[in-house]
Amino acid sequence: MSIAAINEQLLRAIGVGVALLDIDDLKFQFFNDTFVEWFGEPDSDARLTDLFTAMDAEVLRRGLAEGGRFATETTFKLRRRTMTVAMEFNRAPDAGGKIAVVVCQNITRIKELESMIDSYSMMVERNTREIKREKEQVEKLLLNMMPRSVYEEYKTFGVVTPRLYDPVSVLTLDFCGFSDLVATVDPGVIVSELNDLYSAFDRIGEQFGCERIKTIGDAYITVAGMPDPSPDHVQSVANAAIRFLRYIAHRNESHPIKWQCRIGLSAGSVIGSVVGVQKYIYDVFGPAVTRALRIRAHAEPMTICGDAEIAGSLNGKFRKTGLGGQDIGGERIEIVRIEAETEPARAVGIQS
Amino acid sequence: MEKNLFQKYGGFSKISRIVLDFYERLLDDDDVGPFFDEVDMARIVDHQTKFISSLLGGPTSYTDDQISKLHRHLTINTGHFDVLARILRETLADHGMEPDDVDTVVAALDSRRGLVVS
Repeated sequence: MSIAAINEQLLRAIGVGVALLDIDDLKFQFFNDTFVEWFGEPDSDARLTDLFTAMDAEVLRRGLAEGGRFATETTFKLRRRTMTVAMEFNRAPDAGGKIAVVVCQNITRIKELESMIDSYSMMVERNTREIKREKEQVEKLLLNMMPRSVYEEYKTFGVVTPRLYDPVSVLTLDFCGFSDLVATVDPGVIVSELNDLYSAFDRIGEQFGCERIKTIGDAYITVAGMPDPSPDHVQSVANAAIRFLRYIAHRNESHPIKWQCRIGLSAGSVIGSVVGVQKYIYDVFGPAVTRALRIRAHAEPMTICGDAEIAGSLNGKFRKTGLGGQDIGGERIEIVRIEAETEPARAVGIQS
Repeated sequence: MEKNLFQKYGGFSKISRIVLDFYERLLDDDDVGPFFDEVDMARIVDHQTKFISSLLGGPTSYTDDQISKLHRHLTINTGHFDVLARILRETLADHGMEPDDVDTVVAALDSRRGLVVS
């Protein structure tokens, strides 16, 4: 067998479609088996445009004349499968510029893979969006439980190092007659009322730089001066306390349940930390918290009490009334009632 | 966390081969192939990707309602469904999936029989 014959055999058998085309009349001079398998056998005088009706002969001729090559893609069905074949036309240099070599590569699998990747990436993107949404919800929940800086530390390191914050001011509030209320009012109403009140306290506290730490039933605890230190921490809790009272008084005018609260303020040090492993909670504890709770017990309904240190740090915008010393937790503490120097008329009316 | 089959068998890079092989076998089959005669390639591939991913616990899942709607316009009988189950079983086994896992996947497919057979 001659070399030319072997070459022709090879050309016929390869998995690439090959054809030779007369550029002038676009008639086939040669086509191999693969070409026939894909596009059918052209008749002896068939032109390229008979097989590929969508192909523009002029565009092809211009491409071959200008750059010597032309590339396109064709799609057809073969035994139900959508086939995509990339066709490349190259002007053969040694045939007087009259012959174009057509090489057809089967790119069906590439197209199928592209479709599959599109499909998969859409699935993954949708999942990513869902995960992001869930993550934001978890973050929101955790931010309700701890200050942002503590949350960032927890997220980065998986633990929170207990920290001593000194000095800070602690505000504790509870409601008079809460146990009786719980026994007589519908639980749903109680919870809804507390939600309303605590949300308002959170908003007011935030305005004055207070960080709500926790609520236990009717007890609400917020701290100023942490996690970032603040020189005005005493003013912050006192201002928040005054607004808490005004808010409740104002609210009582239009609501059936007339809430009466007591507020205790104290300054000092606290430790802040995430406590617990499985059911963890961010908590603060220490002398300032304990003292604020004890001082609160000495406050009359709808009043604010603090110790001498709190009173000493407050500026002239507050009226301070000494209530005498009390033995609290083994120490003698001067209790001071704190009021705004100028109470709005409405609030005074309610309190008197 | 327990791995699902999608993760166990190598995630998308491996599952993609199962998907394309399954796609070819379905088209080659003269019982179920005709259902895809007039359907765009991209749509079939998209459907098969989600179908296999869904059965193996991948990043998507079809609700019963979606499956029902997608097949409502087709006249699929029990024989067609059996052929599909057989092709799926053969494809998964040929790609090296353990017999127990193949049974689990085919059982998951079979549980949706009532949603597509009319």
